[in-house]
Parts: sequence; C-alpha cells; structure tokens
Amino acid sequence: MKLEWRLAALKNGFQDATAYRIEFVLEFLGAALVPAAIQWVLWYALFTIGGATEIAGMTHAELIHYTLVSILFTQIRGGDLDFELGEMIRSGQLSNYLLRPVGVVEFIFLRGLAPKLFIAGFCLALGLLLSFFTELSPFRLVASMGLALLGNIIYYQLSASLAAAAFVWEEAYSLLMVKNMVVNLLSGELIPLNLFPASLSWVWQSAPFYLFVFGPTQYALGRWSHEQFLTQLGIACLWLVVGSGLVRLTWGLGIRRYLSLGG
Amino acid sequence: MKFRRALGHYLEIYRVQLKNNFVREAVYRSNFLTTLMVDVIWMGVELSLFTVLYANVPVISGWTKEQVFFFLGIFFASDALFSTFFQRNFWMFSDLVNKGELDILLTKPVNPLFLALSRWVNLTTIFNVFLGLAIAVRFAQPAGFAGGWLWLTVGFWLLVGLASATVLRFVFSIWVFWTERSFALSRLYYQFFHFATKPDALYPPAIRYLILTFLPFAFIGSVPARALLHGLQAWEYALIVAVLTGFFALDGWLWRKGLARYQSASS
Amino acid sequence: MIAGGTSSGPVIQARNIRRVFRSSRKGEGLKGALKLLARPEYQEHVALKGVSFELEPGSFNGLIGANGAGKTTLLKILSGLIPPTSGEARVLGFEPFKRPVEFRRRISLVMGQKAQLWWDLPAIDAFDLLRAIYEIPLKDYRERLQLLSELLEVGRHLNTQIRRLSLGERMKMELIGAILHWPSVIFLDEPTIGLDVLAAQKLREFLRVFNEREKATIILTSHNMDDIERLCSRVLILRDGELIFDGAPNGLTQAGHSRLRVRLRETPSAEELSHVTAVPVTAIQVDEAEEGETKAIHFTVKQDRIVAILQALMQRFHIIDMGIEEQSLESVIHRLYVEGELRS
Repeated sequence: MKLEWRLAALKNGFQDATAYRIEFVLEFLGAALVPAAIQWVLWYALFTIGGATEIAGMTHAELIHYTLVSILFTQIRGGDLDFELGEMIRSGQLSNYLLRPVGVVEFIFLRGLAPKLFIAGFCLALGLLLSFFTELSPFRLVASMGLALLGNIIYYQLSASLAAAAFVWEEAYSLLMVKNMVVNLLSGELIPLNLFPASLSWVWQSAPFYLFVFGPTQYALGRWSHEQFLTQLGIACLWLVVGSGLVRLTWGLGIRRYLSLGG
Repeated sequence: MKFRRALGHYLEIYRVQLKNNFVREAVYRSNFLTTLMVDVIWMGVELSLFTVLYANVPVISGWTKEQVFFFLGIFFASDALFSTFFQRNFWMFSDLVNKGELDILLTKPVNPLFLALSRWVNLTTIFNVFLGLAIAVRFAQPAGFAGGWLWLTVGFWLLVGLASATVLRFVFSIWVFWTERSFALSRLYYQFFHFATKPDALYPPAIRYLILTFLPFAFIGSVPARALLHGLQAWEYALIVAVLTGFFALDGWLWRKGLARYQSASS
Repeated sequence: MIAGGTSSGPVIQARNIRRVFRSSRKGEGLKGALKLLARPEYQEHVALKGVSFELEPGSFNGLIGANGAGKTTLLKILSGLIPPTSGEARVLGFEPFKRPVEFRRRISLVMGQKAQLWWDLPAIDAFDLLRAIYEIPLKDYRERLQLLSELLEVGRHLNTQIRRLSLGERMKMELIGAILHWPSVIFLDEPTIGLDVLAAQKLREFLRVFNEREKATIILTSHNMDDIERLCSRVLILRDGELIFDGAPNGLTQAGHSRLRVRLRETPSAEELSHVTAVPVTAIQVDEAEEGETKAIHFTVKQDRIVAILQALMQRFHIIDMGIEEQSLESVIHRLYVEGELRS
C-alpha cells in the first residue's frame, strides 16, 4: 500500500528520534537557543552598550521580540537529511533502497519529518501559550507555522537536489555545508533581514530561504499584513513546484548515471 | 638523550602521517576547491553579517568595523589551523571507540592518543590560514594595529587559539567513552562555537565570564585579536595560562577515566 | 632471525586468569536513561573462569571455542588491552596490561574484523607509517617487505588503495602490516574469517612458513577447523570461559575410532538412540536438520562396533542413508562440549 510505507517511514523516524531522548532534547535546545542568544548579545551590544535608539527603523524591544518569536520557527526546517542522502550515494547504500518500491528521496524526507512535526507542535503550543499573555494573535501563529512547514518541504527539496551532486563528485559534503551557511544568513535566523541595507534586499528576496524563519516571524509579529502573507504563501507554492521539478530532474539524472556505472 | 630520541621518533611518525595525508588528498583532488570554497563562503557570511550591522551603527562596544574585521581575520586563521591539524581527528574519535580501532592503537609502542590525533591532516585548509591572515593584514592599519615587530607575535597568538580550540574540543569528544553517541555533543560544540565568532567585548558580563573561563571560546580568536590590538592586562595573561593548563589537565584526566571504562566494559 | 623469549622458559604464561566485566543495564526510555545516570545497575558477566596454561617459544597454538567462549577476551588480556580481573598473565616476561613499550614492540595483534591499515591509502604508505611507529631500520624494512610480499604474492598490489583490494588481498596486507616489525609473539583473531577457500589456504601456508622460519610464537583463534588442524601443534579449547582441553590436536581424535553417519525416517532423541545402540550419549551427535531433510546422526565408535550398531538401529528404525566418515576435529570438539555439558 502506498500510504502504508509512508506511515511506516514517519513512525520509524519518530522512534529513531525518541530512542535517544536526552540527545534529542539537548540538540534541540542547543540549536534553538544559541543563535537566539547570539542575536540577543548583538542587540545588547548595539543598544545597551552602544547607546543606539533605533536600527533600520526597529527599536531594541522590537528586535528582541523578533529574536524570541523567531525561536519558534528556526527548528522547523533542516536536520541533516541531505547529508544522509549524499552519504548513501557515496557509500553505495542507495542500492538497497532502489530495490524497494519506495521513493528514496521521499522516504528519507518522511523519516526526518517525524521529529520536526513533533517540534512544530511543541513550538506552536508554546507560541499559543505565549499568546495568552502577549499581543500575539493565535490565528497568525497557526498560519505562520503552516508557512514554516511549507518552508521545511522547500528546504528539503533544494537540499536533496544539491545532495544529488554526490552522484557526480563522490561527495556533496562541502556543497551542503555552503548551503547551510547561506541559508543560516538568508533565512533570518542570524539577524532580521530588514537590517540588510535596501540596496541589498534583492539578495534575500531572490531566494526562498526567508520563507523559513523571517517570513513566519514577521507575520506572527503582525509586521506583515494578511495580503502580504497570502502573496508570500503564493510565492512559497511556486517554490514548491520549482523544488519538486528540481528533485525529479537531479535524481532522475543521478540515478540513471548511478545505475549505468553499476551501482 | 632519551628525550631527543623520543622526539625524533615522534617527529618521524608525524612526517609520515603528513606525507600519507598528502598522498590521500592527491587522490581526491576535487575536494581541494570545494574545501576552500566552504571556508571562503563561511568567511563571507561572517563578514557580511557585520557589514549589515555596521551599515546601521558606526561602533559596537567600542569596536569599529575595521577592528572587528581584523579580529575575524585572526579568528579565521586560528580556526583554519585547527581544521588543518585536528578537526577530522576529533570527528573520527567516536569511530575509534565504537568500532574498536582503539584496540589496535593501544598495542602500538607509541602514545595511542598521539596516533589518534595525528591521523588526519587536512592540508588544503592551510590556504585558509593565509586567507585569514590576509584579511587581518588588510584591516590591520585602519583597525589601529601598531604593526612592526608585533607581527612576530601573531604566530604565538595563533598557537594560543589553536591550543584553546583543541583542549576544548577534546572535552566534547571524549564523552564517546560514556555515551556511544557523541554526535549530539560534537554538534553542541559547534553551537557554542558561534560564541567564538564575535569579539568577547560584545557580550554581557555573564556570558563573557563564561567564554573566558568554563567554556573558553574567547581564546580561539577574540583574546588573541584583543592582545594584538590593545595588549592584555596582566591578570588576563594569568587567566590564559590557568585556563589552558586547567583544561589540559582535565583532558588528561578524562582520557584516563575513559580508557579505564573502555577497558572494564570490554569483553 | 629472532628468538621467542629471552630465556628458555615458556614465552606465555597464564595463571588462573579470570575476567568479569560489567555492563550497565538500561531501563526503558527516558526514565531508564535518567536512572542510569543516577543509580546505575550493573550486570556481571564472567568471560573467563580461571584459565591456566603455558606456551613454548616458537610454538603454533590454536585457541578454539564457540562464540562467547572467551577466546577474544583471552587474546585481549594477553595482548595487554584489558586487565584480568584476577590471576596473572606473563608474556615475554612482561605483565601485558602494564603495556611497557618494550612489550608492545615485540607483539602483534591481528583482528580479522578490524582493519589496522587505513582504507584510503595504498598499502605501501600504510606500511611506511608502521615502519616509523616501530622504528624499523630502513634496510630491514625493505628486506622484510620484499620477503613478505613475495611469500604472499602481493607485490603488484602494494601501490593500490586498500579499499580497492579484494578481501583476501586486504587480509594479506593486514598480515604483512602486523609482521613487519618481526614480533616475537603474534596474536591472530580469526584471520581467515570471510575468506574464500583458496585465499584462506594461502594465508595458512604463509603462517606455517613464517612460524617455521622465524620461530615467532603464534596464537590463533578460528572458527575454521582447517586452520587449526593444519597449523597448530597445540590446541586450547575454551567452553564458557573454561579451558576444557589443552594438548596436541592428534590427541583429540581417538585412534581406531570411526564416524558412522546415518539418516533415519524417525526422529529419535540422542538419549533414545543411546539406549537402543548402547553407545554413550557423548559419542552421538545429532545435526540440526536442514529444511526438508532428515537429521543426520553421527556415532563416533570403534570400528568393530559398527555392524552391531546398525543391526540395533534397523530393528527399531528405518535407515534411509548411511556412510562412514573420517573423524574430524569439529566432531571431536562437539564431543568435548557435550561431555562438558553433561558433567555440569
């Protein structure tokens, strides 16, 4: 059954993540809190020590709000699934998957999605809890989490396409590292993207990465109107189509090459 | 006499390790460019982060943009040294223990830790040391670096940075003797490592205290850069010596404990 | 040439070696993990229960036993990787677990399942590192490498990356790497595991020649009875951490005995068969039946008893097939194991 292996993959991924709970929690906390702490440190240096009152039209409080709310979205995308794919190709383990009636790219995705869904649920609950005490709108939070989850898919599509480089170069490690660093900066995880000078805003706008963290945070904070959000949702859907095309293309070509070389 | 003989022995082993790594890298030539590219992009991201910030304010915590760039240059060079000589050895540390390769090392008539940590040398990243230095040189004058004979002390401060990263990374790797899955801790190291990418003067007192003592990430680049730019207080020199020797002792202790555990659990 | 020990006494001594190891028992889930941190519970397992023996310099010794019998544990103790819980080990006059440099220089440990040569290097470069580690003089190094690669016929593969070699060639390289420093004592843990018949034979032949020429003391563990029968002048058999046999392999096979193999339509138990034929249970081995086949039953008995046994069997059962086989070491070990089980 088609649904069956997909559910099995999700379950498998969930068990994998929970088998090492302490590591899972430790990793989540480290990955979520350290970048936020660094942001907070920057705002501290700029405002408290530096004595600035406003940066790119944002006050100290507004920047701190951004930092705090962005934590809810930074851990939705990612994982090292693309590294896993690259390693599978390099080591030849891919052959085991090709024998099974499952799409390998999708299988790995679903396995990695399980813990991310858990994190998304947890972050959403945390956000909703916060919305009782703050001006955050629950509706906006839910919609933002939806956008972040779309971002998770787009991110994986692009990552998997890059991992396909392993078909040609034996390893995709470096390429994926570069991608990680670029995404870190352009997703808005390190700093809010409106700190970019206006002349450079095309840099982040021309990639889909801002839809992962910056976009959801902006909408949740009420800095994007509903129309803006819908427009961005449309753009995200376009990226989904592009991403799925890229995966088909790269993996189609890659697997053909892989098989012709004898696996 | 005995010491000199031992030194010759270890140097010869290291020479062969270097040569072997060269042979290996010559086989995987395509890695050369990609390895360079990764670090160049990473430097680009860090530099542009500060470019963006400094587009909004002229000075952060008394640091000008040029001074931060000078710091980044020193930091990149120090980190590239670590990547060259140690990074991969630490990544492979868990394999060593979990796959039992340590058994083989323990039967060799040399210090097993020396063999484990000299195994992988990434000669390519040496270029990034020079790249980092080039950035430091480029911004030295506008940053107010006195230059002259002080350039000679750069080597010393890079070694301080290398030593700090090594003793610190060791603590995060050694847990493999106890947890079997040390990946999470390795990754935690790289999370904390982000603290090293900013000058320590930027941090609030609590964090600053932390990265100068129990998690001395500031010694990788920030303290060396500060020492070069303004010189350090006497107590700061004492702190470096104390923290480094403290961590060194801790590493040795953990290694012996870990080995004892390995040997008692093994069947 | 190198001598085995410095004195003429035994090169390896084991006196009442016990080894107990603890493993922490982990409970289910997070609770279990936390409990493990706070108040660990340990499970004790006795791997060796007081093993004693002495080995002569230059001897070739086999160490056999089922999985978990304690073979690898014993090798690890003798090579200094782990300490015995109690008892004493002496190798070349050293206490192995203190691992003095001089001791490490003179031993070698080869584990069939763990490679010491790094995969991404050509063998020649890996050997060069071993030369530096063991401080082998360049002249000796070249001569030995020449000799070993000729004996093992791998000269043309020296410049090939290890990972591109076949399993057999890789194992040969491992062996060369383990021997380059001309050790006095060599521990071999399953050196022929996974090799095809031909490659295993080559390796065996090499070990025999090397032992004869260089008089190094060798201890070999193996699942492969061929290894033991053809190489070892002495066999040690471990069962559940106890030494149940120590002697020459030909002392194991009983003179004048044969092995009768029969297949029956019925599936009687060993006890039943013993009752019918008056052969002791220890001399009866009932094989695990393969799918769709009847069980083969082996009787190890004196030749003149065979006819009587067959007659007794025919009165009670239907014989489908029968034959007389050489008595193999494997069957002897089986007998020893069964005897041991009956006794305990």
